Amino acid sequence: MKRFAVLITIVFVLSLLVVPLVMAQGKPAPAKEPAKAPAKAAAKPALSKEPIKIGAIYDFAGPCYMYSETGMLGLRIAVEEINAKGGILGRKIDVVVRDTEAKVDVAVREVKDLLLREKVNFLIGPCSSGTGLAMQVVHTEYKTIRISAIANTEAQTVDKFSPYFFQVVPNTYMEATAATRYLNKKVPAAKKFCTINPDYEFGRRQAAAFEEEIKRLVPDAEILYHAWPKFGERDYTAFITAIMAKKPDAVHSSLFGGDLVAFTKQAAPYGFFEKTPFIALYDLPVLIALGPDAPEGTFGFARGDFFQDPNPKMMEFVDKFKKARGAYPDAWAVQNYDAVYLLKAGIEKAKTIETEAVIKALEGLSLDSLRGNFTIRPLDHMGSVPCYQGTIATDPKYPFKVWKDITRVPGEQVLRPEASVREIWKKTGVTR
Amino acid sequence: MSFDVLFNQFMSGIARAALLFLVASGLSLTFGVLRVLNFAHGSLYMLGAFITYTIWKTILIPVVGFYVATFLASLVMGGIGIIIEFFLLRRLYARGWPEQLLATYAIVLIITDIVKWGWGGEFLSIPRPIPFKGAVSLFGFPFPSYNFFVILLGLIVVIFLWWLVYKTRLGDIIRAAAHDREMVSALGIPIPWLFTWIFVLGSIIAGLSGAVTAPFGSIALGMDIEIIVECFAVVVIGGMGSLPGTLLGSLIVGLVYAFGIMFKPELALAFIFMVMAAVLIIRPWGIFGRPER
Amino acid sequence: MMQRSEVGVNNSAVKRGWWLILLIIAFLIAPFVISKFYLTILCEALVMSLFAISFNLLFGYMGQLSFGQAAFYGLGGYVVAMLVTKLQFNFWLSLAAGTGMAGLVGLIVGYFCVRLRGIYFSILTLAFGQLIFVIIFKWHKFTGGDDGIQGVFPPEYLRSIEAYYYLIFFVCAISAFILWRIVNSPFGQTLKAMRENPERTEFLGIHIARYQLIAFVIAAAFAGLAGAVWVPFYRSVAPSYLTWIKSGEPVMAAILGGPSTFFGPVLGMFIMTFVHSYILGFTHFWPVIMGTIILIIIFVLPGGILEFAKVKITERREKANIAKGQT
Repeated sequence: MKRFAVLITIVFVLSLLVVPLVMAQGKPAPAKEPAKAPAKAAAKPALSKEPIKIGAIYDFAGPCYMYSETGMLGLRIAVEEINAKGGILGRKIDVVVRDTEAKVDVAVREVKDLLLREKVNFLIGPCSSGTGLAMQVVHTEYKTIRISAIANTEAQTVDKFSPYFFQVVPNTYMEATAATRYLNKKVPAAKKFCTINPDYEFGRRQAAAFEEEIKRLVPDAEILYHAWPKFGERDYTAFITAIMAKKPDAVHSSLFGGDLVAFTKQAAPYGFFEKTPFIALYDLPVLIALGPDAPEGTFGFARGDFFQDPNPKMMEFVDKFKKARGAYPDAWAVQNYDAVYLLKAGIEKAKTIETEAVIKALEGLSLDSLRGNFTIRPLDHMGSVPCYQGTIATDPKYPFKVWKDITRVPGEQVLRPEASVREIWKKTGVTR
Repeated sequence: MSFDVLFNQFMSGIARAALLFLVASGLSLTFGVLRVLNFAHGSLYMLGAFITYTIWKTILIPVVGFYVATFLASLVMGGIGIIIEFFLLRRLYARGWPEQLLATYAIVLIITDIVKWGWGGEFLSIPRPIPFKGAVSLFGFPFPSYNFFVILLGLIVVIFLWWLVYKTRLGDIIRAAAHDREMVSALGIPIPWLFTWIFVLGSIIAGLSGAVTAPFGSIALGMDIEIIVECFAVVVIGGMGSLPGTLLGSLIVGLVYAFGIMFKPELALAFIFMVMAAVLIIRPWGIFGRPER
Repeated sequence: MMQRSEVGVNNSAVKRGWWLILLIIAFLIAPFVISKFYLTILCEALVMSLFAISFNLLFGYMGQLSFGQAAFYGLGGYVVAMLVTKLQFNFWLSLAAGTGMAGLVGLIVGYFCVRLRGIYFSILTLAFGQLIFVIIFKWHKFTGGDDGIQGVFPPEYLRSIEAYYYLIFFVCAISAFILWRIVNSPFGQTLKAMRENPERTEFLGIHIARYQLIAFVIAAAFAGLAGAVWVPFYRSVAPSYLTWIKSGEPVMAAILGGPSTFFGPVLGMFIMTFVHSYILGFTHFWPVIMGTIILIIIFVLPGGILEFAKVKITERREKANIAKGQT
């Protein structure tokens, strides 16, 4: 027995040492090219032919795992496409992936690994707002650009603005404002509201933005009750009964993912969806997971799953994604794809990968993306990306429910006004 | 606040308690006899949910598909329980409890990655099975019938465990072994096998509770960590290894949370830990537990 | 057994002294030798080692497994973060405040905990740890909630990795020295005696609870110091610093390196930190690897690496002695 255990130990340690080497050999192109490049460079002044390195840092743990994975797929499709066409400025793109484990200290360390050891030129990621904010301080210190394609707390662009940060996902303010307008349009008579949001940064900001916007639209609006289930709650029954006891006219929510699936299934038997107009983040993965249980007639908002914006460019991407994964692309893949193309456009406009020049180029840059055209606002580096809302309905074309009455709200209509941004900056000490 | 609102909230608390009891009873059982605090219990529960989903998706039998999947998944979890007990825990009973604890924590880490690798971390869901799709009327208020199913199942498990522990010969041995391991062993009863079967029973309960969660809410990575601390709270409040204690503990945690949500939503979670700390301070071995020898 | 190891100590005291000096020199010249990134990891390993030693004061010497040690670590970090960002407080005083706060909360929590033994002690520390975590997590307006606090910068002269490395090194070295003195003092010996035979020590008129409370407060304060000195290095703090998962890290390190030795947890933390960052470089399946490492240690090297090495060395020396005696 003892000998057996020792044998296992030795095999385990050896495999830890060997596997990375084999893996490095497995992808010969990126591993060997840098080795060759300096030799060439010595002969010709073609030093800039070495690849552009993008560090993709995501949270491969817990609820974020799925978003990170599908996001990485979108990112890789874009990179392969660009590399097949000769790269950016004639230079290939190399992607280095790192995992934060959804822990802030690991996130900071891995970002330092990407910056100091891998010496990446740009960063894309992460998924969770908490890890995003923690790494923002670090990549700002090391003067490296990061683009967020999933994490969307407004703090990244407004409260804790960094000139080295850009965002291609609608932030919490834009998303909630657009969703509130849709809810108000659908149920204009509603005056008494409840909210239910996951109890962390993202949910708190969504609730605050909802409250701000609904008071603007309906001056005598009343918020009866804020429910704060913890992120990853499995049983919403007590929240549902508490909300229904208040008899609201409509309910706003930013629940998403597995939480929204659980909430929907637990609320349905109470007749919640028949009694109460409800809006939440009913995006593609949620609709697929819910299947027939998705409540028709309930409102959803999302960030650009394929069916929400079926323009020709998007449909082309759908084919590519289906070939790679055998599934329809969700917004997380779409946004990561756009993030890579934004970077490409910025570098090509700057004609260099030098950080300050790329920042200048990105400011005010307009991109023809999968989700239509959007512009990076020079003020806070927020992309005027669209927000989508709709009503859940069946479509015989798909094996899952999708939306009807889809509204595409261009980012320009819901971006936080400049005066308001500056007001917050005054409080948080950002000078710009 | 009217009576019906409070009653409704009370019923939500009971439903929450039923699910908690299902999971915690397995944890309490293994602790009571094996004296091993099984961190991996939550992971077995998560694995059970994912396995149920896969079986349900593969067999695709209408109407009874879910029940068949639940049954099969519980069996699979029992098998996994045998593996864990036989290859790992059995070799650690002679060691100190910190090492046992750490070994179960290692299993937590390993199962997390198995699920990540096998199911890709997507959140999944099983529609509620017939006949528990809708709601029944309770004093004129709707109450989801699936919650009744969960409560019913909780009751069945209570009765079964009660029968097993207090009414059978095996139960006598179990209680004796929980009290004085050496004595039972001296009587010629093969303790190792008794332990294996208890652990398997615990794993089956974990698998069963995971399966029941699948139609109740959603299945996702991270549900193991989410539930295990709450289960600790339940068994600590009620008394570790005590069946009535676990029942009472889950009722307390479920109801405190349900009413906490109603009156002070920000502090609902903190209330549970406050109750837990208070019980530990006043009566460290829990309400129904007995003091450690 | 006892006498034998005593002889061993005397014999190797000089040798060990040399090792320690070499080690200190190695740490001092490290910034000139290794790259910035590895220096970062080294910083992390050092701070986590201090955290692990503070934990092991309870586990290895007092025989009580705390599952809430991260609460003190995080608390120290939070105090520094809030003082520095909100009040622009003096950095050095903030470090002291973080340590003091952790010690103070340790006093309150410890007062209740030390009366319990074994698994009940573990669970009560877990409950208090989670309670502190939930309070910080939910007190959104005051602590920043889930977001944590960013932009915790040390003074200008400590901004570079190298400068901060020296700060971390000196803080950890001095703390380790103090803790070393504590465990080898009569106080430490009493703690050990209480672990071995609680009834007898009580009989001798030693108040167990008071001794354990003092140890608990010391452990909490040093965990707080570890957190306090760590947070400005990564410029941010978040509630995940306080969870029971974080509390599990020193437990694993201690078991890995050997809880019965003073430097066991340090070795464990160094291995864990470096292997972790190495593994994350090529896969995100770290948990399964860590799980396997734990199982291997438990089954193959019970007692941890250092304990195993110690036993082997003693065995060899004895064999040599016997051989010498024969010739």
